[in-house]
Amino acid sequence: MKIRRLSAAVAVAASGALLFSACTSPAGNDDPAEGESTATSAAADGPCKADLGDITTADGEVKVSVEDEFLGYNTNTPETYSTYNSAVTDRIFGGFYYFGADGSICADEDYGTYEAISEDPLQVQYTLNDEAAWSDGTPITYADYLLDWAAQAITEDGKVTDDGSETPLFNHISGLTLGDYVPEGPQADAPDAKSFTYDYERVYADWKIQIGSAFPAHVVAEEAGVSTEELVTAIQDLDMDVLKKAAKFWNEGWLSQPGEVPDPAIAPVSGPYDFKADGWEAGQYITLEANDKYWGTPAATKELTFRFVAADAQIQALANGDLDVIQPNGPTVDTVTQLEQLGDAVTVDTNQNLTWEHLDFNFNSGIFSDSLEAREAFALCVPRQKIVDDLIKPIAPEAVMMNAREVFPFQENYEATVSESYDGRYDEVDLEAAKEKFAAAGLKEGEKVRIGYAAPNPRRAAEVEAIKSSCDQVGFEIVDSAAPDFFDKDLPNGDYEVALFAWAGSGQIASGENIYSSTGQQNYGGYSDKTVDEAWKTLASTTDEAVHAEQTVIIEKQLWDTLFGIPLFAHPGVIASSSSLENVRNTAAQSGVLWNSEQWARAS
Amino acid sequence: MLKFILRRIGASALVLLGASLLMFFLTINSGDPLKDLRESNDPNREQLMAQRSELLRLDDSPWERYWDWLSGVGGCFTGNCDLGVTINGVDVLGLTQQAAVSTLRLITVATVLAIIVGIALGILTAIRQYSGFDYSITFSAFLFFSLPVFWAATLLKEFAAIQYNNWIADGHYAPWTIVIVAVVAGFLLQAVLGGTRKRRMLTAAAVFAFVTVILFVFNALDWWRNPMFGIGGVLVVSAAAGVLVTALVAGLRNRRALYAALTTVVVGVVAYLAFAPLLVNSPSWGLLAGLFVLAVLVSVGIGAAWGGYARKQSMLVTGITGVITSLMVFADLLIAHWASFLGVKSRPISTIGSQTPNFTGGFWEQVLDMATQILLPTILLTLVSVATHSRYTRSSMLETLNQDYVRTARSKGLSEREVIVKHAFRNALIPITTIVAFDFAALIGGAVITEQVFGWKGMGALFQDGLNAVDPAPVMAFFLVTGVAAVLMNLLADIAYAALDPRIRR
Repeated sequence: MKIRRLSAAVAVAASGALLFSACTSPAGNDDPAEGESTATSAAADGPCKADLGDITTADGEVKVSVEDEFLGYNTNTPETYSTYNSAVTDRIFGGFYYFGADGSICADEDYGTYEAISEDPLQVQYTLNDEAAWSDGTPITYADYLLDWAAQAITEDGKVTDDGSETPLFNHISGLTLGDYVPEGPQADAPDAKSFTYDYERVYADWKIQIGSAFPAHVVAEEAGVSTEELVTAIQDLDMDVLKKAAKFWNEGWLSQPGEVPDPAIAPVSGPYDFKADGWEAGQYITLEANDKYWGTPAATKELTFRFVAADAQIQALANGDLDVIQPNGPTVDTVTQLEQLGDAVTVDTNQNLTWEHLDFNFNSGIFSDSLEAREAFALCVPRQKIVDDLIKPIAPEAVMMNAREVFPFQENYEATVSESYDGRYDEVDLEAAKEKFAAAGLKEGEKVRIGYAAPNPRRAAEVEAIKSSCDQVGFEIVDSAAPDFFDKDLPNGDYEVALFAWAGSGQIASGENIYSSTGQQNYGGYSDKTVDEAWKTLASTTDEAVHAEQTVIIEKQLWDTLFGIPLFAHPGVIASSSSLENVRNTAAQSGVLWNSEQWARAS
Repeated sequence: MLKFILRRIGASALVLLGASLLMFFLTINSGDPLKDLRESNDPNREQLMAQRSELLRLDDSPWERYWDWLSGVGGCFTGNCDLGVTINGVDVLGLTQQAAVSTLRLITVATVLAIIVGIALGILTAIRQYSGFDYSITFSAFLFFSLPVFWAATLLKEFAAIQYNNWIADGHYAPWTIVIVAVVAGFLLQAVLGGTRKRRMLTAAAVFAFVTVILFVFNALDWWRNPMFGIGGVLVVSAAAGVLVTALVAGLRNRRALYAALTTVVVGVVAYLAFAPLLVNSPSWGLLAGLFVLAVLVSVGIGAAWGGYARKQSMLVTGITGVITSLMVFADLLIAHWASFLGVKSRPISTIGSQTPNFTGGFWEQVLDMATQILLPTILLTLVSVATHSRYTRSSMLETLNQDYVRTARSKGLSEREVIVKHAFRNALIPITTIVAFDFAALIGGAVITEQVFGWKGMGALFQDGLNAVDPAPVMAFFLVTGVAAVLMNLLADIAYAALDPRIRR
């Protein structure tokens, strides 16, 4: 499953992602208390899932909260795609990769392996595990991945997409992007081949997360009234008679009415968990049970139940044993305090996640648009450390001020990137220097600065308050111009001087190009810088990680020097679990605490 | 009467139509359904927006969309309902059915309880106007009425669920807890029963002694974990209820009614003995419902047989007694299965959900599971509604009690029971009917917060999720159900009005 850069608003609502922090004590508690170290054993060996040795599935049930109803087996349609749905489907589909606890890419070798056999032109070879099979016994093969490609490549007119802008035949959330990059589709010797190659038309920096899991082609073939081989031929020959039927089933056949567990005949699974017969009660819960046909490391606990519970009811449900693992959305200081009051029965872990808050200048109009000095004056008076200390640390004590945009404080390469791109000049408020810059920019006392953000958001209101109390001394007059429709109106219309919002980090390498390059779709402020544009171009057109690191430093440095905006902090996240559970581990990625749920086990 | 009803229905249909139009336009203009996509940077953003516009038909005129929704609803009369699909592609008709069932389950018990308790409290406080009891009930009513639901829910979860579950693991009261409970019970009962100072003291002392002894005995028997009620319990409690019902409805001087009530109880207990093996070994909801109907029929029959000069009254007495006896039998069966239920579910009271996921256990354990899951939201909804009901009943009762005809009745030498039950209460009921009917309609749509804090997905969630996504189909489905419920309840209130107040029938 590909994790995409979520929109800012959605990200705030769904910031289900927490920091990798191997030896974090719970918030506000300096001495690691007993029973609070369960995550350490699993966290000790890097960001990927720990190798726990031989596991046999133990009887029992683990109950975890998700905040919304399960929608269906096919989680790749625009209607069903959501973090809540993926929380369930990620357990039933195996895939070539997953995101580790700090957002880095980990390969799932139980499922298969992949490598770039040529870097330019980019050719990637995927090899499935020989034992990999759907729960109905059919092996997972090339045919499944060819269908996966077809669903992201074929247009309504029965052609392979040219530039990804046509109307697609399949109702796929990713549209025709894959077909745009790989117009030939995956290549293999036979429909049931275990190994296949993707020839990229142009180099794609994020190739590692392009191909993940697949849907069962044999089911689609049967529903379309053909054999799997015939479906493969039909895709290769673009035979629309067959493809239309296949697409119809792909689009509609896997939708569920709440409470109706998908028929195992059309919904075989490829992951450690499978649907449990009668295990779905509409509006209440859905239960998965260990997939006994799974060839890889089996699930540690037999049943995994997702209960649909709003954030405000989760903590008491955890205290009462109605839930075993929770990850409340948008945690506040209260969340952490309440969880701590539950004592030793509950293990709490806080972290920072991949969603990060920042102030962006408006380069299209206003006082900051063409005056570096004005931007510097503002940057010098923003009390970044105070904002982190007052608003974030009470939730996640390990939180720090963020000094980069493309790397996060909890990631390995953060120190290296920041030390080369930023000298710490805006770390502390310097009102004198700010006043000098203010004068140099030719600004007059009482210059209005509108800070826009999407209301209501108490935390951002507090941030603006802190900025106001500091920057008004310099001569600015900070105006809190929060609006509920900030993203619809003020941001596109340019009715702001500084925008305050958050991006959800995606794990993608090149997605920042959209934000910082002159023509980027999400470059709302109209920033334009040749060095940055070129660096992004270089970065996006290679798969060489050394070049990625090098260009990231160039981009970060230039963004600091020209002051695109000011990064503030990574959002805090909180998970809590019953202390009788082992291996519950926090993650910064959007997949949330469930990411290693097949490893959760009751302490015996 | 028929003409009146038809005219009401016609007017209501027009009101519903107008309201639905307003609702539809308000919903589709309440926000931007493409908001999240506008902020997205997916390469295929335009496609996704086009796709959603097509799904929600954003490019069609609102009138056209409303008309299509309306014709979909019109289909309900010809058997092919179409309420559209949600933004997630889920059929709304199915969703609405699930939500309505869930909400009805949640509110039915609460509403019935609230009506009974609220009206009873209202009458008692009216009779004991300006007594300590009246003041305390008034105080509590205002307290509960003004409680923020989410906060009360949090307290309930903490004390009635989490703390109770911790306690039931052991299941013994500490001695000082027993003393406090007994003192409170003694104080409350003397306040309700009233009388001279000496009589009050006696009442309080007796209650205190009784409660203390009972609780110590329960401790000794480990009763809270292994409770039993037994045939004897059913017999005693039902007989007491029978006497009380007779006293209220017919007066104890009507010996025929009293004997009829007692006969009903005895027959009920004997029937329980006869049916016990069936109820324990192969229970089902169908069986329970069947037996309940049978029990009511037999009870009413007994009343008719004993009745004599006051046959109707006697039938009412035995009918109510029969229902109470049946409930006691049901309670006895549940209590008998409590120990085995605790074995399956060691923390019986849950804070969320309408059932325990994947609950394994027999029929009676499942009934207990549903009961314990519904307990907290029911308490909460009841407390809030009791407040309104008791206040309305009190004032309405006070008003009638001060009427001339009540004074006349008293001066005729009627007993206080007859004055209150026959003359005052009946007339006081008329305005209350309206309130109760409205309250029921409001509860169907109004339990949004209760649903959310207790993790029930009902009509409230349907409405809220739909509105958040600017998705008209579920919002309109919510409107349809609540609107029709409001109209129907209103109509029922009018009919009940006519039945209670002969002046209206003209």
